[in-house]
Amino acid sequence: MTIILGIESSCDETAVALVTSEREILSHKLATQEDAHRPYGGVVPEIAARAHAEKIAPLVEAALADAGLALAEVDAIAATAGPGLIGGVMVGLVTGKALAHGAGKPLVAVNHLEGHALSARLTDPDLQFPYLLLLVSGGHCQLLAVEGVGRYRRLATTIDDAAGEAFDKTAKLLGLGFPGGPAVEAAAREGDPTAVPLPRPLLGSPEPHFSFAGLKSAVMRAAQSGDYQTNDIAASFQQAVVDCLVDRTDKALKGLDFAPSALVMAGGVAANAIIRTALQRLSADHGLAFVAPPLWLCTDNGAMIAWAGGERFAAGLTDPLDIAARPRWPLDTAADSVRGAGVKA
Amino acid sequence: MRRLVIETATEALSLALFEDGVLLDSYDAVIGRGHAEQLVPRIAELPDGGRADEIHVDLGPGSFTGVRIGIAAARALAIAWGAEVLGFETSSLVAATARALDRDLAGQALLVVMEGGHGEWLATPIAPTATPAATRSLLPAEAIAFDHEVVVGSRATEFVALRGSGRACPLHPSARYADMIDGMLLGTKLAPLYARAPDATPMAKPTLGHEGPSA
Repeated sequence: MTIILGIESSCDETAVALVTSEREILSHKLATQEDAHRPYGGVVPEIAARAHAEKIAPLVEAALADAGLALAEVDAIAATAGPGLIGGVMVGLVTGKALAHGAGKPLVAVNHLEGHALSARLTDPDLQFPYLLLLVSGGHCQLLAVEGVGRYRRLATTIDDAAGEAFDKTAKLLGLGFPGGPAVEAAAREGDPTAVPLPRPLLGSPEPHFSFAGLKSAVMRAAQSGDYQTNDIAASFQQAVVDCLVDRTDKALKGLDFAPSALVMAGGVAANAIIRTALQRLSADHGLAFVAPPLWLCTDNGAMIAWAGGERFAAGLTDPLDIAARPRWPLDTAADSVRGAGVKA
Repeated sequence: MRRLVIETATEALSLALFEDGVLLDSYDAVIGRGHAEQLVPRIAELPDGGRADEIHVDLGPGSFTGVRIGIAAARALAIAWGAEVLGFETSSLVAATARALDRDLAGQALLVVMEGGHGEWLATPIAPTATPAATRSLLPAEAIAFDHEVVVGSRATEFVALRGSGRACPLHPSARYADMIDGMLLGTKLAPLYARAPDATPMAKPTLGHEGPSA
C-alpha cells in the first residue's frame, strides 16, 4: 500500500488530502475562498493566489495531523501543475516540490483535469478503462475517451464557454450570487423550466461539440426584457444546459469507436442533481453503467489530486523538481483545434 | 545550527547556507522570472540538499509571485525538516548587501529602490541605525521626492538619473549577506508583504452582460 499527499490550488479552493492506493481517504482539508471572491461576482486571480499562499502550509500540517502521519510516512507528493490560475498553481506546486525535496520523496505533477478524470476510480473500485468521460466544470466542457492513466482522447469540446462558466455568468446576470452553480440550481428549484424560450446551441449537429455562449446571451436578453421571473429564467437556463449535455453525450455515445465500461461524469457541474439525473437516464438508455463521484469529489479537492498522483506513481510516472506550472494544459495534447473554438478548446 | 536563507522576492534568485554563522555555500543569479522552476532544484544542489534547522525567507514587498514562491518553499521545507522559519523584508537584505559590498556605506542613510512592476518602483528609506520605514510603491516621478544621497537597489541607476543627483549603487540582494540583517528585523509572521492591493473592483450590481473580473 502506498500513501500519497495531494495538493490542489488551481482556482479558488486550497485543498490537501492523504489517500492510499487502497482507496482510503486518510484525511482531506479544504479552505474555500468563496467569501473573498463573492463581492467580485467571480474568482479574482490575485486574491486567489494570496489566499493560497496564506492557507496551504497550515492545511498540509492539518492534513498530516488528521491522518496521524508524519511526512516521512508518505510515499509521494502529488500537486496540481495546471491548468488553472497560474499564481495559485505555482504556490501549490512549489509547496509540493519543497515537501518532496525536503522529505526525499518523489514528486508527481498532476493535470487538474486528470484529477477529475480519474476521481471516479477513487470511489468506484469496479470502474475499468476505457470509459467515456463527460468533464463539466467552470473551465472545461469535454467528452473524453479515458483509455488508461495518462491516456486520453478528446472526442468533443466546447467551442466557446464551459458549462460551468455559463452557470457562473447566468448567476451573475441574475444577481443570484457566487458561486454560480449552486445558486442557479437553488433558484431553478423554484422556477418553471419551460417558462422562458431559450436556445439549445449545436443541438442535433453532427459532431458532439458544445456551445454555451449563445445561451448565455439569450439569458441576458431574457433578464433585460423584464418579462420573466428570475427563478423561471434560472430553471429554463438549467434545462437548456441539460438538453445540450444529454444531446451531445448521446451523439458521442452513438459514434464511439470503442466499448466503454461506463459513462462517467466529473467536474464541478457534475454536482448539479438535475444534470446528474439526466445523464444517469441517458446511460441507462444505452445500457451503460453511470458513475459519478460523490458531490464533494466533483468540486475541486485534494483527494482527487492525491488519487490521480497515486495512479501515476503506480505507473512509474514521476516528475523533476524544475517542472513548470502550466496555465493551459489539455488532457489530449494531440487533439486538433475545433472549428470556431478559441483558445479555451 | 544550520540556517538556509531564501531570496526570491526580486529579479534575483539568491540562496545561502550557513553553519553557526559561517557561510557554507551560496547561489546568486539574476533570473527575472522562473523562480518557481529554479528555486527547489537550486536548494537541492546545496550541501546536504540545503537541509537546515532554521530558514530565513524574504517576505517582500517585491514580486508578488516571487514572494509567494519563497514563502511556500520555506514553509514546506520547514514541515519536512522540522525547522523554524523567520521572515525579513526585502529592503533589509538589499541594505545589508549594499553595506557589505561598500563598507563606506556603514552608518549612512540609504534609499532602497527596487523594481515594483506596473511601471512603479518600490522605495524604502533606511536610516543609519533605525528600522526601515515602510516600503512604498510609487511612480518614478513620485519616488524622486526622496532626497537621500545614496540610492541602492535594482533601480538605483534609473532613480539617480531621473532625479539628477545622488550616488547610485545598483545591486540585487544577496542571501550571503543575510547574517548582517539586524536580528530585530526578523519576524515569525510569515505572511507575504504586498505594496499594492489586488487589482479588482467589487461588483456593484448584476451586470447584465458586463464582464467583471473572473477566472
